[in-house]
Amino acid sequence: MENTQHNDPAAKSQDPLGAAEQKNAAKSTHRPGDLPGQKASPAEQHKKPILEIQSLTKKFGDFAAVNGVDLTVYEGEIFALLGSSGCGKSTLLRMLAGFEQPTSGAIFLDGKNIVDLPPYERTINMMFQSYALFPNMTVRQNIAFGLKQEKLPRAVIDERVDKMLKLVHMEQFVDRKPYQLSGGQRQRVALARSLAKEPRLLLLDEPMGALDKKLREQMRLELVDIINSVGVTCLMVTHDQEEAMTMADRIAIMDRGEFVQVGGPREIYENPNCRFSAEFIGSVNLFDCTLLSSNQKESLIHTDDFPNPISLEHDVDLADGMPLTIALRPEKIYISKTPDDSGSSNCCEGDVENIAYLGDISIYYVRLPSGRLVASTLPNVDRFKTGLPIWDDHVYLSWDPDSCIALTI
Amino acid sequence: MPITALNVSSTLARRKLGRFLTKRSRREKIRDIMRHENTWREKLVILVPYLWMLLFFLMPFLIIFKISLSVTEIAIPPYSPLVTFEEGAMQIILHLENYTFILTDEEGTYLRSYLKSIEVASFSTIFCLIIGYPIAWALSKCRPATRNIMFMLLIMPSWTSFVVRIYAWMALLKKDGLINDVLMALGIIDSPIHMLQTDFAVYVGIVYCYLPYMVLPLFTALLKVDYSLIEAAYDLGCRPVKTFFSVLVPQTKSGIIAGSMLVFIPALGEYVIPELLGGKSSILIGRILWQEFFNNRNWPLASAVAIMMLTILAIPIVIFFKVQRKQMEAASA
Repeated sequence: MENTQHNDPAAKSQDPLGAAEQKNAAKSTHRPGDLPGQKASPAEQHKKPILEIQSLTKKFGDFAAVNGVDLTVYEGEIFALLGSSGCGKSTLLRMLAGFEQPTSGAIFLDGKNIVDLPPYERTINMMFQSYALFPNMTVRQNIAFGLKQEKLPRAVIDERVDKMLKLVHMEQFVDRKPYQLSGGQRQRVALARSLAKEPRLLLLDEPMGALDKKLREQMRLELVDIINSVGVTCLMVTHDQEEAMTMADRIAIMDRGEFVQVGGPREIYENPNCRFSAEFIGSVNLFDCTLLSSNQKESLIHTDDFPNPISLEHDVDLADGMPLTIALRPEKIYISKTPDDSGSSNCCEGDVENIAYLGDISIYYVRLPSGRLVASTLPNVDRFKTGLPIWDDHVYLSWDPDSCIALTI
Repeated sequence: MPITALNVSSTLARRKLGRFLTKRSRREKIRDIMRHENTWREKLVILVPYLWMLLFFLMPFLIIFKISLSVTEIAIPPYSPLVTFEEGAMQIILHLENYTFILTDEEGTYLRSYLKSIEVASFSTIFCLIIGYPIAWALSKCRPATRNIMFMLLIMPSWTSFVVRIYAWMALLKKDGLINDVLMALGIIDSPIHMLQTDFAVYVGIVYCYLPYMVLPLFTALLKVDYSLIEAAYDLGCRPVKTFFSVLVPQTKSGIIAGSMLVFIPALGEYVIPELLGGKSSILIGRILWQEFFNNRNWPLASAVAIMMLTILAIPIVIFFKVQRKQMEAASA
């Protein structure tokens, strides 16, 4: 990984809200030395693949909702399918659960093709977005429902239900009906119900979709804790990038029924492999550029927006003179009222046109002489702003050479 | 005043008290809205159904009830008066003979026909449910354009006269009717099946006529079904048949009850269908009523028969409203 900045002082703020740090602190599986949001890939850890999807396609008429997707999910992993609505992520999930029949392709669970199995014969359980709790049954009956289908003895069912209730801290609500529970409590019951059957794979469909924002942030970490303590492999679908980055070990970004990029949260954020990925996760400044020269030590890139060529400290696999895109995250652009005197060519100047004050950070929109608007964020460390640029200030922007991401597609 | 007695020392406590007071006043406001006195216009609107019920249900019921407590007489009207004046004193004579006669009749004609009516109405309801549920399900599942056509097909037969449709069934079911002709021509049967004037024909008639009343409430209930619950049941390992009974049926309970009521109640007192399609063996309560009123001109006994039938009907109706109220409470909570 050439571009990761092990000594970057800004590393802490790369993850929105620093949530990934919290997550990994809560996780028992992280290794010392792991960067937040970045773990060794499951294959490197010699984990066993549990779910293998091979060129899975689902067509509705001529429209391919899922188009030839390949995916391997490893034992014990939390995997997130991230995409905007209509990208096919829910269709993919529903095919795994057995509610949709794929047009072609195969789904292997523990090496066995389950494509032709009906949902009630799959050892996969799902937590529905609306929770789908049975309204006529109590919390206990809801959790016991799946176990009853296995015709287990009553004592075993009761014991398992009690265990699940304890796991999700819902012991005192056993005899309530779903309508007597709050949204968060319903989610806990839904989770307990889907975990009660000890599935090989747990599917979460927009797990936080029905909760309000505050509860959402709290439940993310708790859900991960519960899932990890059970040790179940989990595949979730979400449109919320913060949710995916906080909860998942690996993320697949989906667009128009295909995977755009698969990787850990840090990898996806710091090393997007295309413009779509870069724009989808977080915010980014994209510059249309042409490659001037490239060698092992340095690549020089020209853009009409900057007076100097952009310099990268690695080579770009492209012929000279070819177009490419440079992506620059706003938090990696330093903004200052005094010119940068390091002599680096990675700098430019402009005027502050707008400031969005978000409390924890402020986003500065700087108009370059070329007419281009560039976003740059600054953390509001000081309660009383001192010396920060204000509207119409002439400011100098600079960035480290390895903050730039060269995108060829 | 209890409020002045409170020790309101800190601003926090005062603020809490303030919030408590505003909350109370809001609660009172809601109570006022709930208690909202109806204006005379609103009262007038509410009056209409009450008036209707009074005129066309309660009054006739009381008249019939009064008649049922008298004995038959050769007079106009043909029953003894309830209130008589003898030697200047008012006399009220209540005759319970009609009821005791119905209950203790040695041949048991009345009780038998009650049971037979309940049997026919119950089975008809069950048949309507079995046939109507898939129809309602298909209606709720199909596209709106197809749905309209299907609704037309379901309701259009009731645009023709009820009696005409029953006569049509007579033509179909009789010995040399269409059904027997076709079965014979196909070689499935050698001699015509005796269908007309059997219980089978009565069931065919009742199910045919009352099916729409079963389908419509079921359809409304099925429209409201949350299908993710079905998927959840499948997901938890529940097989389709069991899912139907443990998830779909409870969810459409209100429709099942409403539809069953709409079939059971009229089927219990059905007169025309058993009269035209049924045999001599199936004497239902409707025919008893007819005979007592028009053949025997025993109005008091006929009234007692009618009142007892109403009592039989009242039981399921009360159950229905109880269930409905419970559901409403659950939904509002």
